[in-house]
Amino acid sequence: MSTVLSQHRPTVMKAAGIVIASLVLASTWAIFFVAPTEVTMGDVQRIIYFHVSVAWCGLAGCLAMGCCAAMFLARRRLTWDHWSQAAGEVGWLCATLTLLTGSAWAHEAWGTWWTWEPRLTSSLVLWIIYAGIFLVRSSIEDPQSRARIGGVLAVVGMADVPLVFMATRWFRGVHPVSPEMDPVMKWVLLASVVSFTALFTYLTVLRRRQLDLSESIAQREMSAWSADAPALRRLVPH
Amino acid sequence: MQARETANSLWWLIHKDLIREVRTPQVWPGMMLLGLVLVFLLATQLDLPLEQKGRVAGGLLWLAIFFAGTIACDRSFSSERDAGCWLTLSLYPIPPSVLFLAKLIVNFIALVALEIVLIPLFVALSDVSLASRPGPLILIAALGNVGFAAVGTVVSGLTCGLRHRGGLLALILLPLVIPVIFGTAEATRLLVMGQTDLQWGRWIQLLAVFAFVFTVIGALVFEFVVED
Repeated sequence: MSTVLSQHRPTVMKAAGIVIASLVLASTWAIFFVAPTEVTMGDVQRIIYFHVSVAWCGLAGCLAMGCCAAMFLARRRLTWDHWSQAAGEVGWLCATLTLLTGSAWAHEAWGTWWTWEPRLTSSLVLWIIYAGIFLVRSSIEDPQSRARIGGVLAVVGMADVPLVFMATRWFRGVHPVSPEMDPVMKWVLLASVVSFTALFTYLTVLRRRQLDLSESIAQREMSAWSADAPALRRLVPH
Repeated sequence: MQARETANSLWWLIHKDLIREVRTPQVWPGMMLLGLVLVFLLATQLDLPLEQKGRVAGGLLWLAIFFAGTIACDRSFSSERDAGCWLTLSLYPIPPSVLFLAKLIVNFIALVALEIVLIPLFVALSDVSLASRPGPLILIAALGNVGFAAVGTVVSGLTCGLRHRGGLLALILLPLVIPVIFGTAEATRLLVMGQTDLQWGRWIQLLAVFAFVFTVIGALVFEFVVED
């Protein structure tokens, strides 16, 4: 408990939070006021700056979840499972935003909210796999079993990420891969990806700390209950 | 010598499951019945012109096969769990990857048996020319079966000790094998339309990559599955 609490440095986290919030606000400002308006699609094209950023974070979340799960399986330290769960949850949120922003963009670009194009389909598959893993995790109470089963599923689920990444190149879909962009657009996109990645990392760290603290509190309650057990037994009539 | 002992262990594990299924059929009848019902229901919805029928028939067929196949995967370990033999099986002096391979092969055989019944029935009911080129169809089936059975064996091992395991197995297995389902469906669609060209080859490559990746990952992680 003391170890976990000593790691919890509110001042550092607050400072990091302020810096990252500033970065996200600055990149959002750049998206709307610095990036030039695209000729064909107009202002709707600005969705792409958010879409690419959250899509990257969704994939990074899945990779981080799988890698941390593999570390848990190798080392058996619950903190690795907490990293895995935290990255997975934030990644799932990003995957949800990817589908929503992509769908809004597709409506303007392709005239439909959804098409069964390989990369879109793969993104949806990734989202469903995330959801399935969390559903399985939520049905297991023992932390070690939850971490082990969730860990194996995360490693297996991670095998889907290369398909998501390579789908457009493999199957010649209609999804743009590396479209020609104005240099200013490229810089704004880069700034957006960097700021959203920082936000993703910050949220993951916060969630991991929360999970560590929850686990420590549960262990403390268990220890307190064990220490009081003889006294409680005396109180209970035989 | 060690390789021969491993091969013997693998054979006996497969033999045990197959003999048990022959003596007291628990899995295959339910799996077959569900497959038959699904094929019948899906074939009744295929009252379309021949070209349109060819476009959707492959997807419907593989959906029925894999959906019924979840029953085989679901029962991979639950018979040992229910009969109290799980500890004995996990103490058997073989690498966990051999146990994984044995269960994968048993599930593969169950899927082959299912396909031997369902594919001719589906062809007869839907009048789709699937049987005209058996070689490519067998290739699609073999690769699809390996991918599905590999993931199914891992997920079944993980969920067999949980509450509501049946629902959970389907919920986690079907999303994980979506690439396999899409691969088999698309490859079959192109086969029916007579387009066994580069695009067909890419779907076959996808199926082969998934079968290989999931088999290797399954063999690697299976020691964490059986430790419970």
